[in-house]
Amino acid sequence: MTGARREFPRRIESLDGIFAFLEAFAEEHEFDARTVFCINLVVEELFTNMVRHNLGGADTVTLGLDHDDEQVFLELIDIDVEPFDETSVAAVPVEAGIEARRPGGLGVHLVRTMVDDLEYEYEIEDRRMRISVRKVLEK
Amino acid sequence: MFEIKHSPDGAVLLHGRFDASQIETAKAVFEGITGSCTMDFQNLSYISSAGLGLLFATQKRLVDNGEAITLVNLNPHIREIFSIAGFDNIFAIK
Repeated sequence: MTGARREFPRRIESLDGIFAFLEAFAEEHEFDARTVFCINLVVEELFTNMVRHNLGGADTVTLGLDHDDEQVFLELIDIDVEPFDETSVAAVPVEAGIEARRPGGLGVHLVRTMVDDLEYEYEIEDRRMRISVRKVLEK
Repeated sequence: MFEIKHSPDGAVLLHGRFDASQIETAKAVFEGITGSCTMDFQNLSYISSAGLGLLFATQKRLVDNGEAITLVNLNPHIREIFSIAGFDNIFAIK
């Protein structure tokens, strides 16, 4: 496996750099277009939730990428934060019409739907949150 | 890069990547939409839940007043996102 890892400042404006990092990795390893769209979306949703909800955390969030012939692996690590499992928020009622729909939860719904594995871990000792993703590559 | 333009026939043209860092730019334009319109996604390459949320809020405001946004020319990836989000029930998509 061939991995890459980088820290990004904890702010929404980091997204441009994150997308550049993701797309360079995807281009180097010749990922298909749907996978590229998917990993951009997944990382944006998870990263922006960390920025919004993990107030008081470290100055940076670490993004790690890896892959093999069949799948891509992503991880986001946030240190010095309170536990909050964003991956387990309530399901969005996507069948509902506009009157019944409410904002919120849509990003996590997209992530859960588009990936093959999504895991949340929290280590109390160093207040470390890790969210990991596995996505099977398209053929 | 993300841009919003208007065509001569009044359609709203979205260009580039509509991610969470572009919400304030889009909000300023979307809040000025007061009647039914077409949004053309021909040159929109990407959208996340941040953009979907703003589109939803704008559509909700319009529908409450008997108006609506119609979406056209979604690329296959964006079309899939709209389907997963259940936005087929929220927007007319052509």
